Amino acid sequence: MITSILSTIVPAPDALPLPAPAPVLFFLQQLTFLLHLLAMNALLGGLIITLVARIRSKGPDDHWAQLADSIAKTSPSLVAATVNMGVAPLLFLQTLMGQFFFTSSILMGWGWFSVVVVMIFAYYGTYLQSFKGASLGKSQKPILAVTVLLFLWVGFMFTNNNTLMLQVGQWAGMYFADARGLHLNLGDPQLWPRYLHMVLGAVAVGGLMLAWWGRVRHLRGDERGAFMVKVGVDNFTWLTLVNILVGLWFFMALPSDVRKLFMGGDPGASAMFGIGLVLGIGMFVLGFLARLRGPNVRLVMPTAMTVVQMIVMITMRDVVRNGFLGDLYKPAEFAVKTQMFNVVAFFVLLVGAVFTVIWMVRKLYLSWDNN
Amino acid sequence: MNYPVWELSMGAGMLIAVVSILHVFVSHFAVGGGLWLVLTEARANRQNDEEARGFVKKHSRFFMLVTLVFGAISGVGIWATIGLISPHGTSALIHGFVWGWAIEWIFFFVEIAAALVYYYGWEKLDRRTHEIVGWVYFISAWMSLFIINGIVTFMLTSGGWLENHEFWTGFFNPTFWPSVFIRSFAGFGIAGMFTLMTAANLPLGDFRTRITRWNGGWATVGIAGVMASAVWYGRSVGVWTENEALLGAIPVLPKVVALFKIGLVATISLCVIPLLLPKVWNKGLVPMLLTVGLLTMGAGEWAREAGRKPFVIQGYMYSTGMLVADEEALAADGMIAHTKWMSPESLTDEARRGQDLYAAWCQPCHTTNGYNGLAPFLAHWNEETIASLVPHLQHMRALMPPWYGTEEENAALVTHLMSMKPAEPGVMPADRQAARIKSFAISCGLCHTPNAYRSLTDFFTDMNAEEIDEFLDDAGDMADEMPGYFGTEEQRELLIEYLDAFDEVATRPGGSES
Ligand code: HEC
Ligand code: HEC
Repeated sequence: MITSILSTIVPAPDALPLPAPAPVLFFLQQLTFLLHLLAMNALLGGLIITLVARIRSKGPDDHWAQLADSIAKTSPSLVAATVNMGVAPLLFLQTLMGQFFFTSSILMGWGWFSVVVVMIFAYYGTYLQSFKGASLGKSQKPILAVTVLLFLWVGFMFTNNNTLMLQVGQWAGMYFADARGLHLNLGDPQLWPRYLHMVLGAVAVGGLMLAWWGRVRHLRGDERGAFMVKVGVDNFTWLTLVNILVGLWFFMALPSDVRKLFMGGDPGASAMFGIGLVLGIGMFVLGFLARLRGPNVRLVMPTAMTVVQMIVMITMRDVVRNGFLGDLYKPAEFAVKTQMFNVVAFFVLLVGAVFTVIWMVRKLYLSWDNN
Repeated sequence: MNYPVWELSMGAGMLIAVVSILHVFVSHFAVGGGLWLVLTEARANRQNDEEARGFVKKHSRFFMLVTLVFGAISGVGIWATIGLISPHGTSALIHGFVWGWAIEWIFFFVEIAAALVYYYGWEKLDRRTHEIVGWVYFISAWMSLFIINGIVTFMLTSGGWLENHEFWTGFFNPTFWPSVFIRSFAGFGIAGMFTLMTAANLPLGDFRTRITRWNGGWATVGIAGVMASAVWYGRSVGVWTENEALLGAIPVLPKVVALFKIGLVATISLCVIPLLLPKVWNKGLVPMLLTVGLLTMGAGEWAREAGRKPFVIQGYMYSTGMLVADEEALAADGMIAHTKWMSPESLTDEARRGQDLYAAWCQPCHTTNGYNGLAPFLAHWNEETIASLVPHLQHMRALMPPWYGTEEENAALVTHLMSMKPAEPGVMPADRQAARIKSFAISCGLCHTPNAYRSLTDFFTDMNAEEIDEFLDDAGDMADEMPGYFGTEEQRELLIEYLDAFDEVATRPGGSES
């Protein structure tokens, strides 16, 4: 009964065939999404840590101020990376799930559109911090705080859209009550824990990256390194712990039929859930032990675990998606007409691009050292 | 039909126009400016001109701040906006061209990395490597243009793709090459304009004169190139050349094209000043040049968009998402059967039925009072007039997508249109001649122009007022596609006077494009 009403509302899949088998597009979506998350975590995590550092700083030259100055220099390039790496998964998502994604975007039209405007201001905010720095004087902290808030807003809109696209049952009520694109998905119990999970995860992973950076500096005899390691590992450890709890809250906020998939309903999903928990605890324990070693931390294991954890989380996210949509979404039934030449061209160009970028960045890195 | 429609009081077209005109100006700068940077840098290196190097370096910071931030984000912004306003069109383009977009993303990736390395590499990288990075930037930026150009031009001239649905047929469509040239030259021209701005801030002197002349050269050559390739472009747009009558149907289109031409002449006239008289060039002229350039670019993009209607993808999909291939089914089943987003209340409530139909099939292009607003027309119409027009919407010269309403659906739509009517009836202009023109515009003028599209001149030249009056009684018998006449006494009198003295060219009041 419900499905019959829903199926009149849910837009039909596009009349044109997919230009590659769905699994290929799906793989690229997940892969680029992982890269996007890494960049986003470095950016958002770094900015939040910078804000805390500015607040705790007592003078222009203390540890906190040095830390904040260092990170602030990286933010603009990280925005570029985050945006660039975000475009690709969004493209593949629209190809595979446009029926859902376009619809939820329209329901939250202004909110979704706001992302563009807000991003421009937030981006310039990072350049102000990077280029002007201390010369901003009194307004340095408020500008940074606003920049962080703007990025948090962007993330919040993404969480709204990614959850609203699953709330097919709510769509008709929302749209027919008000079509002006003013909705958000605030009534969804998973919204807040999911968003919080993402933001805390970003700071934790951002902390881990900071620890790596500090470690490298320390090895080169830069005395700012040790403090970076400490702040980084602290954030990583404690926020991972908090995030395990938030993750459980997120889990409890899912509808019971989706939750059951992770509790035996779907063996693969259940295994993933178990692995995720174990990895989470493992990350915390290793982080805790790492703290004891000061600037001589060992980061390889916690980093490996974190990356695996992110892959597990991304995959679980997809199980949740399918759990919500059920029979409404059947990518296996989409018509496919593979554009073989283009697929090959894409991968060849991608390899070429990666080499070109590595070459350029390496040149810059080496020359930076010499100067 | 498939997707819900975002109700925007300003009008969907307006939002797209604002986002895209700004983006397009900056994104062309991102391409042309890249070439300007490397060539000017190389020239400075060759001539050991430290002043020029310093200028390039300084400009590159401005360049990065404008293109990486505003250019890149507003580009993503256009994409988000068309997804909101034309989800079906975006979805179709993505399905046909996702690999094009994916490859464009690769170039975007290299472009951004190169821009950052170029900027942060000043005085760090050796000069040769720095130049190479600049070239990497320009080539990848230009390749992005090349690829997006294939997709954008496809929408207007889908060409052979309609038969075979092949990626490369759609990509290298009839306007692909002229458009690549227009856009590349526009990029070089805009690069010249922006660097003229930077140059105007330099202290007066020999260097300023030199660099101003060089930048003026860029701007002039760029705009001249646009002019030449625009002629070629105009000849390649099949829908324009093969069907001139159609052009007459959209009076605003020739106007926009004319605006574009005038804009180009104005822009190039301003551009030759710094080239020929570099000493005269000053800060005061900069805003003028940039404004004229921006407006010209806007007119060009507007003409391209306007020329496409009523399609999103020429010959394949209408602006409402209706597929040409589905038309027969729609004609047979009526509209509701093909409208996903009908509210439960619409089953029983006629007004709501009309509202939902309007939202799905009219709102993509119309607003009540804003962009392409209907209220100013509805104010002058009685129910008979509206009811007579609804079954004939696709015959209006506006080139609207077909509307295959059943009798019941037409009645519902009329009910809704009546509810959009302003409380105050429309007032005719006080000036008699203006009132006559208006009376024509709100009736016959919806489908005819006096002497271009479905011309009426011949028909009415020899008729007197009485005969015209009789004609209006039976106007509905004239052609199947044509409704009867139901105007008020006042409107009718004015219309008769207008048709009787058929010599003035009527213009549509309050009309706009979508
Ligand atoms: C809804 C659109 C519509 C409206 C409104 C409309 N017409 Fe027409 N009219 C048409 C169409 C379509 C034709 C057929 C044209 C053709 O065959 O090329 C036509 C044909 C005619 C013809 C015949 C032309 C010929 O050369 O044979 C005359 C005369 C005419 N219309 C006059 C009028 C007048 C006067 C009005 C205003 C009272 C009017 N029309 C309003 C659509 C319209
Ligand atoms: C593809 C976009 C599009 C769609 C969809 C569309 N129209 Fe239009 N319509 C236009 C344009 C463009 C004009 C002419 C405006 C101008 O020339 O200034 C127009 C003109 C009109 C006019 C004449 C008054 C005026 O504003 O010029 C009426 C009445 C009208 N449309 C009603 C409708 C109705 C009712 C629907 C839905 C069934 C509809 N239109 C769907 C684009 C569209």
